Amino acid sequence: MRRSFRFNHSKRDVADEIGFHLDMRTREFIERGMSVEEARRAAAASFGDVAAIEAECRDQRAMRAREHARRDMLQGLSLDLRVALRSLWRRPAFTAAATLTLTLGIGAAAAVFAIVSGVLVRPLPYHNPDRLVMVWLTGSEVHGSSSQLPLSAPTYLDVRHDVPALTSSAAFRSWSYTISEGNEPEQVDGVRVTPALLATLGVRPAIGRDFTDPDGTPNAPHVVIISDALWRRRWGGDPSVLGKRISLSGERFTVIGIAPRGFAFPRGAELPSGLQFPMRTDVWTPLTFGEDDLKNRWTLNLAAVARLRDGVTLAAADAQLAALGQRLDAQFAGGKGQIAMHAVTVADQAAAPVRRTLLILLGAVALVLVIACVNVANLLIARTSARARELAVRTALGAGGARLARQLVVENTLLAALGAAGGIVVAAFATRVMLALVPGQLPRADDIAVDWRVLLAAAACAVIAGIIFGVAAAVHARGAPLAPVLSGGSARATSGLARTSGRRLLVGAQIAFSLVLLVGAGLLAASFVRLERVDPGFVPEHAVTARISLPIGATFDPKRDGPAWSAFFTRLVERAGVLPNVTAAGAVSILPLTGDPESSGFAIEGRPPAAPGQGPGAEYFVLAGDYFRAMGMRLLTGRGFAAADRAETPRVIIVSRELERRYFPGDHAIGHRIQCGCDFTPGSREIVGVVDDVRVTGLGEPPAPAVYLPETQMTYPQLSLVMRTTGDPVGTIPALRRELRALAPGVALEQVRTLRDVFSASLARQRFSLVLIGAFAIAALALAVVGLYGVIALSVGERRRELGVRLALGARPVTVLRLVLGEGARIAAAGIVVGLAGSALATRLLRGMLYDVGPADATVYGVAALIVGIVALASAWLPARAATRVDPALALRSD
Amino acid sequence: MLALGAKSGEWGSPLVDIGLNEVYTYLTNACERRMAGSNLYTGTLDLLILKAVSWGPRHGYAIGRWIRETTEDVLVVQEGVLYPALHRLERRGLLKEEWRRSETGRDAKYYTLTAAGRRELRAETSRWIEHTRAVNRALAVAT
Repeated sequence: MRRSFRFNHSKRDVADEIGFHLDMRTREFIERGMSVEEARRAAAASFGDVAAIEAECRDQRAMRAREHARRDMLQGLSLDLRVALRSLWRRPAFTAAATLTLTLGIGAAAAVFAIVSGVLVRPLPYHNPDRLVMVWLTGSEVHGSSSQLPLSAPTYLDVRHDVPALTSSAAFRSWSYTISEGNEPEQVDGVRVTPALLATLGVRPAIGRDFTDPDGTPNAPHVVIISDALWRRRWGGDPSVLGKRISLSGERFTVIGIAPRGFAFPRGAELPSGLQFPMRTDVWTPLTFGEDDLKNRWTLNLAAVARLRDGVTLAAADAQLAALGQRLDAQFAGGKGQIAMHAVTVADQAAAPVRRTLLILLGAVALVLVIACVNVANLLIARTSARARELAVRTALGAGGARLARQLVVENTLLAALGAAGGIVVAAFATRVMLALVPGQLPRADDIAVDWRVLLAAAACAVIAGIIFGVAAAVHARGAPLAPVLSGGSARATSGLARTSGRRLLVGAQIAFSLVLLVGAGLLAASFVRLERVDPGFVPEHAVTARISLPIGATFDPKRDGPAWSAFFTRLVERAGVLPNVTAAGAVSILPLTGDPESSGFAIEGRPPAAPGQGPGAEYFVLAGDYFRAMGMRLLTGRGFAAADRAETPRVIIVSRELERRYFPGDHAIGHRIQCGCDFTPGSREIVGVVDDVRVTGLGEPPAPAVYLPETQMTYPQLSLVMRTTGDPVGTIPALRRELRALAPGVALEQVRTLRDVFSASLARQRFSLVLIGAFAIAALALAVVGLYGVIALSVGERRRELGVRLALGARPVTVLRLVLGEGARIAAAGIVVGLAGSALATRLLRGMLYDVGPADATVYGVAALIVGIVALASAWLPARAATRVDPALALRSD
Repeated sequence: MLALGAKSGEWGSPLVDIGLNEVYTYLTNACERRMAGSNLYTGTLDLLILKAVSWGPRHGYAIGRWIRETTEDVLVVQEGVLYPALHRLERRGLLKEEWRRSETGRDAKYYTLTAAGRRELRAETSRWIEHTRAVNRALAVAT
């Protein structure tokens, strides 16, 4: 017989056992002739320290209890797991549907999270990256644009010496080099930097040495650090390149170091696009300041990065920079507050332009995930109803509620885990696909990867989903009354009113969410279509462009080298113009729709001079050849540049319509003379033509005043050639390459693309948002529709008897149809109303992203609601038709 | 086929039994074996206990008495040491415990050898014999 006292069981147990032993020993001694008292004492003495032994035994029991508990739990779990796997295997349709839905939902969410994590969360790959800042100048009215202007050499030196909040700083500017070792000349993206750049970032070359201060002095020997990617690509990773001299743009540089793998600072997408930094940097050479640089306070061409001193906050550094800005303002701009300085952390600099878009995308994909999880939850609940009998039997036989609940939780967590595992695979692909939509334009694209954060997020989604499913299913199962189910009663008995309304509510919510996404997609689509229709000011069809950069050595002097550049471009454009299939050829310093152009102030002759930074400003472009005709731009009055406009002939300039409208209101610009700040040499130019506006910064930005100068009179080493062709524009490129090689063998064509590509690329970011939100909207709608179908079908199944009775009593099939459709319509209508309200709120987030479309555009809302309504009714149609086919006799007979 | 059991019973088919139980026991024993080897005295006592129980269920007092009698009091054991050893062996899964009514009418805890215990007894016995043979050989060498 077993003692089953629970009270202090183990303690009693040990004491009992030892007590028995002592008892027996005492008896033994008594048998030998001792008295009871003596026997007891002898027994105790021969036993030892009873209390200590008891304590040790109790410890053993406790450890044993713990081990057994752990073992039981593991066994229980492994059992649950086995049962769960088996039950999923037996219902392939259900398992496939649920797993697929979860995989797509979690996969999409993980992919977007990967992008968000890479761009917004992951620390930049530099030492203590949150202490790094970029320093910018702010100019209002100056040069027509932004709040992030580059610095000049004297300003940078002021920052370096007069701002104690920054310990280390470096300035840099982009510089394209041509490597012409042996085979094909190759254009490499380079950057000229002050020697402290890598040190400021806390990065050391993987092989070789960093720049030192002597490398930055004006007549130091030329040295270069190359990137790991370039090293592997061009020298096969051979370390013997260290110490060799390579030829960059005609000058010899000694390779002193190779940057660590993956280092490519500055990465163009992380900096203002107007600075034209390349996507990744491949060579770094020292930047030196010559006498001219130091005198010229208003040639703004240097970006600056600095490290905050330990213990100093960004606000403090910002305050010091503001003070410096005020000093400069007072000294040079009459103290009117037009010049200021500020600092931005490097991470913010990279993330700020896209943060809002990415967070909106994350919100959208979260909605899709919720909708997907609701669908799977409904599937599970439907299946649990089907298993009601099995669960009822188990309960009747003694399985506790907790045990059943645990089983269900394990089943659902397994499902969620499968979904998450598939989702991670989907995410890896989906991330690549999404990034392909915005080539080169997404900041920190290189930092995006499916890393531990993404895995953790996917796992978290799965765990939460699994728990929700399990709890919902368990609650549902508990509520099922046992008796009618056991006696064979069908689903008729299992749906209480509360549960049916719950399902309807969930589906209604799904419809509402998908409507919100659809409205968002619709607004973005409308905006995109309107943007695409904007007249860019040129004709994108049948034209191709290629950029050509003449090699410029470190000591570049426009005055000395200019004529050679001019001669080269003039001849090249001439030769391009007579190639077969080419109708016109020209070149320009900055193509439209490719970023912020350079701008400068100008003065109109005959008008009172304005204070510096306050006068008229315009974007300036340097042209060669028959540019306007090649681009398809409209010349309004006057003439274009001709062969007659040369260095020695009178200096001329062409202006844009916007400039004429703004600065010569009611008058003709032709004939006036203006002095452009961008000119290398002083002296005014005569306006000889007015050309129509083109969109330069983006299709959505209104055109700014622009001036055009002939390359022969303002030399420029880098121009983009444009050729207008009959037929396929790209076909003319090989011929162009031949001409280029004949003229200048060491020069390569870069960025060869058609004007149509340029046009499309300028819309890449909008296209990205549109495609993604559109995809999410479609997915959400599909899931919601499936959910609605499920609910209506279930409802018809439950009401078979009732419908059978109605039909038997003479109701027309149309009435039954209307009954069922009505149910679907009610749910859909409720969802649509809530969805419209939600859209009105949610689309306010899209404010900055829409062009010419208000967030409350009635057409879009109407169309979206209509689409959702039609699709929802269509999904309710099928079960409704099935309902009309119910055979009354069968329905009445079945249980 | 569902095997019905109590609240914590088995529901699954034994065909697919992973045998977590045995794995766990094996792992625990492996640790203990390594530890037990270092203390010769503990090992000897365990061996004697296993032997004592090999003929059938015995309670702690009987085991102690048997050891005393068969070794002719050569091994004088503080009797109390027996009980932690018994509990340790039970924890390792070598013994099974059960409360029963003893010959005196009072309830006592009886220990029985498990299959694993039987295997352990065999292994430890042969190891002991080898060990002593080796030591005897070494000691028999004339100086």
